[in-house]
Amino acid sequence: MSSRWRRSVGELALRGRQRGECERAQEALGRVTSCFQQLAVSLGSSADGSFLRDEMDETRHLAQRICRGLSRRLLRLLSDCGPAPSGVEDRQVSDCGPAPSGVEDRQVSERLWVLFLSALEHFLSDLRQAHDLIGRFPLRQRNDRRSLVNTGCMDGVVAVAARVASVQAPWLTMEEEQSPDLTNHIAELEAMLSEMQLRVPVAFWSVEATQLAGAERGGLEDLQEGEDSLEELMEGEGGSRRPAFCCLTCG
Amino acid sequence: MTIRNTLQDHGQRYRPRMASLKKSEKVLLEMQDPKTGLKSQPQRLVITTIPHAITGEDIIAWLADRFQVNTQEARSFGSMLVAFGYIYPLQDHKRLVIKPDASLYRFQTPYFWPTQLLPVEDTDYAIYLAKRNIRKKGILEMHEQEHYNRLHKWMNHKWDFIVMQAKEQYRAAKERKKPDRVVFDCQERAYWVVHRPPPGTVSAMDYGLDRQIDPNSDEAATPDFYERIMIFTQQSIMRPRVKSSVSIGALVKYCATYNNHDPFLSNCLPSNPWITDDVTFWTLNMPCVEIPTKMRVERWTFSFAELLSDTRGRDDFRLFLKKEFSGENLAFWEACEDLKWGKAASIKEKAEHIYKTFLARGAPRWINIDGKTMEVTVKGLKHPHRYVLDPAQTHIYMLMKKDSYGRYQKSPVFKDTVKKAICPDEHRFSGLQLEQNYKKRRPSLSPIILRQMEQEQRAKMAANIDITQLCRFTTPVPHLAVYSGFTDYPTATASPSLTFLAHTPACPSPISVGLDSTSVSERRVEEAEGDGNPAARAPVGGNVSRSRMALSLRRLLKGGCTPATMFASLSPKCHSAAGTSSRIQPIGPDQPSQAPPRRIGNFFQIKVDIPPECRIYPIESEDEEEESRAAFQGGVGAKEIICPWESLTTHNGTG
Repeated sequence: MSSRWRRSVGELALRGRQRGECERAQEALGRVTSCFQQLAVSLGSSADGSFLRDEMDETRHLAQRICRGLSRRLLRLLSDCGPAPSGVEDRQVSDCGPAPSGVEDRQVSERLWVLFLSALEHFLSDLRQAHDLIGRFPLRQRNDRRSLVNTGCMDGVVAVAARVASVQAPWLTMEEEQSPDLTNHIAELEAMLSEMQLRVPVAFWSVEATQLAGAERGGLEDLQEGEDSLEELMEGEGGSRRPAFCCLTCG
Repeated sequence: MTIRNTLQDHGQRYRPRMASLKKSEKVLLEMQDPKTGLKSQPQRLVITTIPHAITGEDIIAWLADRFQVNTQEARSFGSMLVAFGYIYPLQDHKRLVIKPDASLYRFQTPYFWPTQLLPVEDTDYAIYLAKRNIRKKGILEMHEQEHYNRLHKWMNHKWDFIVMQAKEQYRAAKERKKPDRVVFDCQERAYWVVHRPPPGTVSAMDYGLDRQIDPNSDEAATPDFYERIMIFTQQSIMRPRVKSSVSIGALVKYCATYNNHDPFLSNCLPSNPWITDDVTFWTLNMPCVEIPTKMRVERWTFSFAELLSDTRGRDDFRLFLKKEFSGENLAFWEACEDLKWGKAASIKEKAEHIYKTFLARGAPRWINIDGKTMEVTVKGLKHPHRYVLDPAQTHIYMLMKKDSYGRYQKSPVFKDTVKKAICPDEHRFSGLQLEQNYKKRRPSLSPIILRQMEQEQRAKMAANIDITQLCRFTTPVPHLAVYSGFTDYPTATASPSLTFLAHTPACPSPISVGLDSTSVSERRVEEAEGDGNPAARAPVGGNVSRSRMALSLRRLLKGGCTPATMFASLSPKCHSAAGTSSRIQPIGPDQPSQAPPRRIGNFFQIKVDIPPECRIYPIESEDEEEESRAAFQGGVGAKEIICPWESLTTHNGTG
């Protein structure tokens, strides 16, 4: 009995560390997926090219590594702890008893779980979209470039790619695994998602937001210099707009 | 977060093919061709210049040229492309139309093209709104704020993810060069204008209901698949065919008739609530409104079915029939409808009641249907089911349609309604007023409350039995129930308590206008004396004499009655007869020579007395004998109307 208590203290510390790891990984995943989205937005447009697609692949692989690691750790975290003390029918024999901090522990882990699954779904939909677009605009021959849509974007994804490269996740250096192509990637993620959902019963509606609505307003200190709203930016042209034929000559 | 991935969803979740999307994409790609496509120009902003802007007029000209159509059509096509989101306007971004001038547009990047492959996720929208919030000077519009609050509530569990992702996306976007950032922001904004349209507009991606099977998937060639094809082909061979000239003619006629009445094809007065958010139109056209609108009244003249299906029209028609003393047809029809659409448990009861009220010999509101139908109906009533009264109902319906309907349209009731009908003025709302209307929208009454109101109204009408419809008999006959024509059906018991007879008897023979039938009914009364309810008879007397006068006059006008007979009916002898309540009328001297009252094909009056020689109904011999006995004697025995199938058990009747 006493060993159980001793074990649980140590376990708690370990779990706390693991949770911290997962949280950082989650942030990294968020960064990578948002960069991926920025890259995917240019697919099929005049800014599309092999550089873009290579960068997308890199980003994808990185995301995949993070996802794999995160899913493994989260699974471990949540199955170790056993089912939550409240609200599950069969009380299985669990390693840790329902200690008071165990409940909060569990809640935090569940939150991480839900956040990861949401991120995974979101990323999956982006991947599917990208898959579809790459299929439609294969870019295998020179002529294909003629059909790219003139969206007004030049390139400029270099900085985005750099941002991706700067992402660090705790286990990235450790695990070097195979990078699948897009179709397999999607299949793998889908399998991961369903497996996670089946393995651990987490009531996702019990997770609550830590922020109130609108808390992010006005928000990011690092980004606020020189911010104009889109409306102001677009309005600006009204003053300096010249008639169309003039623009053609100077365009 | 959903469990989409793990469970097979057998519900309807496939979106109908929108073939226009694939075709639009082809056109769009053609537009990109450097030689034959659209010419673009740079867009000059304060901070930078962005290439690839195109003017509205260029788009229209290109489309007109490419498809060899006129400008108007090219313009609608262009507007469709904008509505779908393939091209977005740079100024006035909320109005998704093509303006045929120098306004600028730009192509949307394929990532933001509308697709049916993946549904538009609320998660993405939440992230977008959070991003808008993050911008220092970004303010959400009202509908966006509403969406935001709603999503915060429903996606609370992943809200942290949403905010985190919004911040990350914001940072990632910042990494790009300024012009590209502006372009991306425009693109994203345009995407959400298409898929989450502001109020007062409709998304072009609104495709209607989902389908049960995926139209884009290939179906396996199993035996079942071929079986279905075979069945389908067989059925289409067997289907009866109508000449296209006929069916098209019908369609044309329908369109021509209803064109002005369609609120979306033509102007609906005062204004279309779906467009202006002002509900006057609905208030003016409520089912139980006192004064209908002119358009509504005009619809009643289109067909009989229109008149009947509109509650107000039916009320008007009922009023007219009441004035003509022939409301039993409509009442019967309504009773049949009630039977058809009511609860299964009440079918037997209702069928019985209907028989007693409308179909049986001597029923208080007897309807005139031909013998064959009556035979079929009564036979069917032995085992009543929902549609047992269909032949009779159809017959009565056609009767009303061919006869009463025409007369109704020429009647003073209708003309009065037409004169009083209102024609509201058209609303002219300014943009500001439209916004206010939108804000002032309120949900309508709950259907539960509406149903309660309906039931109260029916109960009120049922309680309000019209005494001018009383027959001119001296006494009410207690055992004969009146079907008031409204549902909610009073319990039909063997001896109902309702007392009034609704209609006058026919004018059979010229010999004695009122005497014979009066005497017959009085005989009846006297027969029924045993179980009658004496209290109920009292109030009738006063009114009856008055109505008798009126009725006699009418009979005179209808013809066939000599003045002598008319006066005879007003003679003191009759009056004294009228005055008594429950006494045996001494049979007059002319009684034996009277011919049994002939049934005259008269639609407006009910025959209370059926001559015994009519052998249409499966009347038991015993009844017949009793009837003939009653004709020549004082009559004995209580004669209630019983349904023939009921008496089978007791009388061993013909069956």
